[in-house]
Amino acid sequence: MKNCRIGVYICMCGTNIAKIVDVESVSKFVSELPNVTLVRTYKYMCSNPGQEMIVQDIKENQLNRIVVAACSPNMHERTFRGALRSAGLNQYLFEMANIREQCSWVHDDTKEATEKAMAMILAAIRKVELHEPLESMSVDMSPNVLVIGGGIAGMTAALELADAGHSVHLVEKNAQLGGNIARVDLTAPYLYSARDLLTERLTRIRDNKHIKVYYGSKVINLSGYIGNFTAAIQKQNGKTGTNHDPVEIHIGNVIVCTGYKEFDASRITHYGYGKLPNVITSFELEKMIRAGRIETKEGKVPQYVAIIHCVGSRSQEFHTYCSRVCCMTALKYAHEIKSANPKCYISDVYIDMHAFGKGHEDFYLRSSEAKTLFLMYEKNDRPVIHRAGPKDDCEMLIEVNEKLSGELIEIPADLVVLMVGMEARPDSAEVAHLVNISQDKDGWFIESHPKLEPVATTTDGIFIAGTCVAPKDIPDTVAQARAAAARIMAKISKGKIEVDAVYSEVNEDICSGCRFCNKLCPYSAIEFNEKEGHSHIISALCKACGVCVAACPSAAIKGRHFTDAQVLSEIDGLTQTIQYVEP
Amino acid sequence: MSIRVNPRFINDLVLFGAEDVQLCYHCGDCSTVCPHADEVYKFPRKSMRQLQMGLERKIETTLEPWLCYYCGQCSEQCPREAAPGETMMSLRRWLISRYDFTGIAKQFFKSGMTEIITIIGFALLTAVFLFYYGYSMGNIHIYDGKGAFLSSPFIHKFDLTLGSLLLIFLAINAFRMWYFTMIKGTKVPVPWWLYVKELYLLPWHFFTQKRYSECESKRNPKIFMPWIIHLGLMLGYVIMLILVMVFIERLQSGPAIQWQVHIFGYLATIGLVTGTIYIIRNRLNKTYEQYKKSHSTDWVFIVLLFFIVLTGIAQHIFHRTGLYELANITYIVHLMCVVPWLLRMPFSKWAHLVYRPLAMYFAAIRRDAITRREISLKSNSVSIK
Repeated sequence: MKNCRIGVYICMCGTNIAKIVDVESVSKFVSELPNVTLVRTYKYMCSNPGQEMIVQDIKENQLNRIVVAACSPNMHERTFRGALRSAGLNQYLFEMANIREQCSWVHDDTKEATEKAMAMILAAIRKVELHEPLESMSVDMSPNVLVIGGGIAGMTAALELADAGHSVHLVEKNAQLGGNIARVDLTAPYLYSARDLLTERLTRIRDNKHIKVYYGSKVINLSGYIGNFTAAIQKQNGKTGTNHDPVEIHIGNVIVCTGYKEFDASRITHYGYGKLPNVITSFELEKMIRAGRIETKEGKVPQYVAIIHCVGSRSQEFHTYCSRVCCMTALKYAHEIKSANPKCYISDVYIDMHAFGKGHEDFYLRSSEAKTLFLMYEKNDRPVIHRAGPKDDCEMLIEVNEKLSGELIEIPADLVVLMVGMEARPDSAEVAHLVNISQDKDGWFIESHPKLEPVATTTDGIFIAGTCVAPKDIPDTVAQARAAAARIMAKISKGKIEVDAVYSEVNEDICSGCRFCNKLCPYSAIEFNEKEGHSHIISALCKACGVCVAACPSAAIKGRHFTDAQVLSEIDGLTQTIQYVEP
Repeated sequence: MSIRVNPRFINDLVLFGAEDVQLCYHCGDCSTVCPHADEVYKFPRKSMRQLQMGLERKIETTLEPWLCYYCGQCSEQCPREAAPGETMMSLRRWLISRYDFTGIAKQFFKSGMTEIITIIGFALLTAVFLFYYGYSMGNIHIYDGKGAFLSSPFIHKFDLTLGSLLLIFLAINAFRMWYFTMIKGTKVPVPWWLYVKELYLLPWHFFTQKRYSECESKRNPKIFMPWIIHLGLMLGYVIMLILVMVFIERLQSGPAIQWQVHIFGYLATIGLVTGTIYIIRNRLNKTYEQYKKSHSTDWVFIVLLFFIVLTGIAQHIFHRTGLYELANITYIVHLMCVVPWLLRMPFSKWAHLVYRPLAMYFAAIRRDAITRREISLKSNSVSIK
């Protein structure tokens, strides 16, 4: 390659790299390579002085290619690209050799590690020689947002966006908004009325001219990419069977807040749900509490109430996860039942008491003070409910191995409340497919990073919030909904969206139109131009994974920044035999 | 066979003093800090659990509450302020009411008022009887010898009658305790000779209360005062009881002091005076953990004892200084306290004088029996290659 002036920077990363790799020998080896103008070693390349050194060298020595041998590009590629930009050099004329994670951290022999580091830097040099300056492009960002699901998450997100003046399309499958929260009376641990939480939001949504609510409707199609989606919304009419014409809307981003479904208690035969009349689920108790009468099917006020935790949750047979809200809800029931009838005896049959949130531990203490009898059972040793005998003063007896006393006990009960856990909705797979996001083994939608990107997904422009991601309580759901709205507003405020310059391109002259790549693309980034008979890659959606490049039988697809020539040259560098002689 | 949980039990126990047991979440800190808990006798946590769950039939067969001397380290350590020490105390009260076949103890523990009214009733009855007897048989100006208002042979018979009554109740209750703990509560076979082997423990624990001092084995700094005071009080009490039951006629003769008998009386009085004052002060000031909560029966116990001691001393002084009329009246007041006090014994906390050494004795027998059983199981086990 002509006129290549490469600067190579070898980082010691304190002693992380230098204690295994002989950095000075590597430096000497690199300095003798063709096209290398300058080699420097430094204790911390990522530090400000380290970056300034690169900027200055580029200016003073007219460097036009940079290689940094340091940590993983996941860690600091952005940092060094920034240094190139501030020196006025195209940021893609840069390559990183990962001699920390892939070399010094995994080897303990200096000779082998040093030889490997040399080879990795050589490969980076061979690749960077062929790099071309690339320009990132930008696409328009529509300020409209589609929110799927009108529970507490969807309503919160919609209001957040609409309050900022953005137009929101809120699609709700049912005839009214509210979702699962509309089925609840009070909320734990502060005993706020769920109805109050809801009414305030409903009024604000009704009065907000930026929010259009589609009741009893479904999103039946979503196409396009971030900033430029087209969605089709159809009003469902189950009873008459007539299909309404779908409404087509244009939006820039989507928030999925489809929520959860409660576990079907009849799946656990031990509990006799559906057979024993006074075994009810938590939602059935909510109904009673809302109606103002807690009573058995026979209309009697129960003297003994037993609450069984983890119904469907934390078990190998059903769901292994914790549903997070049931423990506090159970304590709330103990409180509500005791308030309604102070003479009632409440047994709380649990596996572990998960009182993790703000105010939860205090609430647990208050339940103890109110003499709720807490009885612990082993995860895989579920209680069994029997009908009581004629001599007993109760309707049912719950038999369980009590863990804290080590006794096999019978708990008297007139009413048994099953704390049914949360599970993914049966139509979640359909939704995932519609908006092109993934689900985990339990059917929950997967975030793009569980810690750092909790509301984004691997598809740009699609966000998830609330209990469709995993079980969570109301504060966490609201926080996620607002986070998703904030993420979208940040994008909208820019007006345009930057698309990474690294993506794949189809050479339309060579493309035979076989459409292999169409089906393989994991990001649905490839569309087919029927008229011209060739495939086209939407650069805004492409993540440059390279699947289409490898699959194309006509070699018509080029991965920018990872061209065949670049990759082959890199491999060539990596496979050179290098001898390290200890100085 | 499963045991029925009784959620009502915890409410009943409130009357016996267990007000905070529901707060316990079974971290087990109490059992860790307790110097007496071990592999066989696990408490207070286990007892707390049995109480919360209302396993009455289990609790009545346990010895654990008697193995606790309430040093209070568990309550100091408890993160939930569930007062395990006080819970053990209330279980002891409950057990006393359980051993008592008459049901009187239960009434006394449940209602302080009932107890006080009963005591006043018996005191008045005593006064009426003694004044009637005194005036009809003697002269209020004569204390001792011929024509005495309350002659010593008469008092001796009176005391022995009370003592036998007391003994009958106590013997029946002790038998019930043995039946609950050793027949119903001990699941392993107990050979008769174990009762002989461990018999020395009865006097040993009765007279030394060594186990009380062992409460301090883990604590730093060690607080031995409650043990010393308790021991002094108990010895004083027992000496006095023996003197009254056996040597009353020599005690009452005077005005010359009979040193062979009176020296013991004075020593016992020192123990009783310091003991009662110390305990009343500590209960009022709520100094140590064990004095922080006082059940109505605790107050009746210590205050009545204090009155007995005071009137006893006063009567003694009046007698020796020749104020016979005053001595006779104080004597009746003294007996007005003594009679209900003695009759109350089998139905009150005082009964632990008998139950505690018995419990140590039974506990040792049960432990031996369990060890024997384990050894025999081991020797019978088949080794598999």
